[in-house]
Amino acid sequence: MVTADHYKFDLREFKFLLLEQFPLETLTQYKKYEHFTWDTAESVLEECIRFAQEVIAPLNASGDRTGCKLTEDGKVITPKGYKDAWNQFYESGWNMIPIPEEEDGMGAPALFVVTTNELFSGANTAFYMYPGLASGVQEVIEAVGTHDQKEKFLPGLRDGRYGGTMCLTEPQAGSDVGFSKSTAVPHEDGYLIEGTKIFISSGDQDLSENVIHLVLARLPDAQEGTKGLSLFIVPKYRLNDDGSAGAFNDVKVGGVEKKMGINSNATCVLNFGEDGGCLGYLIGEPHGGMKEMFRLMNYARIFTGVQGVSVASTAFLNALDYSRSRMQGSKLEDFGKGDAPRVPIIAHADIRRMLLEMKSKVETMRALCYKLAMHWDMSLCVEPGSDEEVYHKGQLELLTPVVKAFCTDQSFRVCELAIQTYGGYGYIADYPVEQYMRDAKVFSIYEGTNFIQSLDLVGRKLKLRKGANLIDFSSDIAKFCAKHGEHPVLKDEVAELELASNQLTGASMALMGFARKNINLVSLFATRYLEIMGEVACAWQGLEAAVIAHDKMQGLDDSDSDKHFYEGKIATAKFFVNNILPGVSVKCAVLSKGDDSAVTISEKAFSTEH
Amino acid sequence: MRIFVCVKAVPDTNANLKVGSDNLTINPQGVKYVMSPYDAVAASKAVELKAANEGSELIALSVGKDNKESRQRIKDALALGADRGVFIKDDAAHRDPLGVAKALVAAIKAEESCDLVFFGRQAVDTQASAVGPMVAQLLDIPFVMDCISLEIADGKATVKRSAEGRVETLEVSLPAAFSAQRGLAEERYAKLKDIMKAKKKPQADFDYAFPDAGYEVTAMTPPPERPAGKIVGEGPEAVGELLRLLQDEAKSLSF
Ligand SMILES: Cc1cc2nc3c(=O)[nH]c(=O)nc-3n(C[C@H](O)[C@H](O)[C@H](O)COP(=O)(O)OP(=O)(O)OC[C@H]3O[C@@H](n4cnc5c(N)ncnc54)[C@H](O)[C@@H]3O)c2cc1C
Repeated sequence: MVTADHYKFDLREFKFLLLEQFPLETLTQYKKYEHFTWDTAESVLEECIRFAQEVIAPLNASGDRTGCKLTEDGKVITPKGYKDAWNQFYESGWNMIPIPEEEDGMGAPALFVVTTNELFSGANTAFYMYPGLASGVQEVIEAVGTHDQKEKFLPGLRDGRYGGTMCLTEPQAGSDVGFSKSTAVPHEDGYLIEGTKIFISSGDQDLSENVIHLVLARLPDAQEGTKGLSLFIVPKYRLNDDGSAGAFNDVKVGGVEKKMGINSNATCVLNFGEDGGCLGYLIGEPHGGMKEMFRLMNYARIFTGVQGVSVASTAFLNALDYSRSRMQGSKLEDFGKGDAPRVPIIAHADIRRMLLEMKSKVETMRALCYKLAMHWDMSLCVEPGSDEEVYHKGQLELLTPVVKAFCTDQSFRVCELAIQTYGGYGYIADYPVEQYMRDAKVFSIYEGTNFIQSLDLVGRKLKLRKGANLIDFSSDIAKFCAKHGEHPVLKDEVAELELASNQLTGASMALMGFARKNINLVSLFATRYLEIMGEVACAWQGLEAAVIAHDKMQGLDDSDSDKHFYEGKIATAKFFVNNILPGVSVKCAVLSKGDDSAVTISEKAFSTEH
Repeated sequence: MRIFVCVKAVPDTNANLKVGSDNLTINPQGVKYVMSPYDAVAASKAVELKAANEGSELIALSVGKDNKESRQRIKDALALGADRGVFIKDDAAHRDPLGVAKALVAAIKAEESCDLVFFGRQAVDTQASAVGPMVAQLLDIPFVMDCISLEIADGKATVKRSAEGRVETLEVSLPAAFSAQRGLAEERYAKLKDIMKAKKKPQADFDYAFPDAGYEVTAMTPPPERPAGKIVGEGPEAVGELLRLLQDEAKSLSF
């Protein structure tokens, strides 16, 4: 039943990641993170878990059913309980986890932020997008705001008096952000902003006294395209000197979308300056808006990937629980015997196939997120300007679109498998998995559709540093394979990974060839190329976990729950390599063939009737 | 004022507990430990009182195994607002309540003074409700059990406690000890800032040589498995029989 405790997670998994596969100790050796011991992490983690389970998880289903309402005078009403949860979130200070210690934060590395984000997002995805976006705005202002802007906007963003949004999309400018038309005209107090933004997440709410929008708009002398966009801070209410909400700043809510999922997060149409009274403040350089927005976007893309993992993970664990209690059918060996005992469905091979597919996708994707986070953290620890910094930054850039797109595409598929595992009950709103699937779909659409991610990967990330990012990625895998090529239980799987990684290199070459020959083919195969890379990366991360698990389980006996945990890691890696990774070779073959029928087929031939 | 709050590490109430292979102890493998929930209420009240009485000091005490899970409970109390913590190591598989009480008393007496001592109404694992009254007895101070409200004024405490079918109001002179029932204080969630601050608060170990216990746990067995359900029939015809069984055999219905 959909109960308050729908949210399921595995604490042992988080410990494995933070202590065994990506030990925090790697980071505490550096000055930047020397304060961040597991001890500290653990106490905070425990409280975050309490908050996730006791405060926001119980609102997940009810918030979905109620959704957000728009009153006649244009105010958004969030579901019951959200306001209290918001207050408690900020009272506890969970938004301060990544903020440096000197500024009263925890100074946590990305590794840990990924963990707490997963907890909050898994417990209530739509709720967490409210503080999540406010944190994004906070981050941008911290990074590029002027001294005055920081003084003015940061305190309220930090203590929950202000929410935040990112406003890029317009009706005619979705993926093509450069086509946006909103304008900014200099004014004695800043800039007058005019334009309509749509699909704005957390666009308005009744949780905080003010909302700080980050808006992309064009200055009068701007050129066309993305290079002509500037970024503006636009509060819903102008700020009084003490930071409290003053006069209305002419940001009207034109509507709240009715939609498939994340229903308790208000997706708004926002009309800026309809009455000519919307003041904005330039942040960063004029015409440098995309660059500044990308600070937020990169962070947001990574956490969209984490959102994917978070929902997929609770979907899997709910399906697992259900499969242990649902009695249906008898053992295959007893087929045809009417009086054979009924068994829980987890006894059936096909259910186990689905469970292990979910488990292996969830855990390897999660590990990939941590891998990325480790590169991110390391890039901040090592000597600025060093080769190491270049390497870690390169990997961070390369893996960002992969994490965003692969983890979100697969998240939806995992949710679908979870429903299939339940059977009819999974389709029924009494159980949480149907909501998970509805919530998860948008992850592959917002923050740049997953196609846009693959374009970013093949069009930009592969080319950076003359292709060295991909070379570094492949050589990290090659090193792993060389080291474990003789592994007593995993050597066959390591060999498969090596093969797949070489195929990935081949596919990259083929793609470069397309770029010279027929650019349409790049676009046609970009999504599949990203998927190849995602599968190779996840197989690698799964095997890395399995190697560690194999070492650690020696000498443990069956009464030790760790023994089963480690066995699970090995089974996960083997399943992934033997059941999912083989898809790489098929996709590579398809790619090298370069069939272009999807671009050569005439539009009329798709259907003569329509 | 010097306020003490005594907290205990217990398995999370959602944990699936199994008796260990020694048939004497709970297998701690994979079990998450927390501060006993009633202790958390007591700690919240103690923090409230400390804040309301300037110059007060709040000390968290805990007796437990010398491991992280137990020591973490002191940190929990520090994060909730205690000023410092004192941990008393005890490696016995089972410690009788009197032993725990004596250790706590020794630790309290080692401090300069004592005005208030707080406990949870019971530890949710052993459910003995014994240590609190014993400590009060050993300190020779009054003890009020199951408090649902408490105010301090003029060196006296006015306390309400829930009892069967009534609420009693008592006036108690200080120093005194109290055990917390749900509702005594609004439960607090530790704040990030306070968890970070807690790291820097003083934590000390207090060594105590436990006396021999007056009893020994000789065996631990899981509760008997629930008997299998019984199908009395199908459809509306079965209702009569079901009602009869519930009434006569299970005695869970009466009209
Ligand atoms: C619930 C929700 C919340 C959102 N929150 C925000 C928010 O907070 N802030 C914000 O600014 N936006 C937000 N968005 C908008 C979101 O980022 C856009 O929907 C997304 O970028 C895609 O734009 P579009 O919907 O206009 O689709 P389009 O750009 O029209 O795309 C339609 C399809 O065409 C493909 N496509 C587009 N261009 C190309 C191309 N050049 N080559 C090949 N294929 C292409 C796309 O991949 C897609 O499959 C949100 C959207 C939703 C649904």
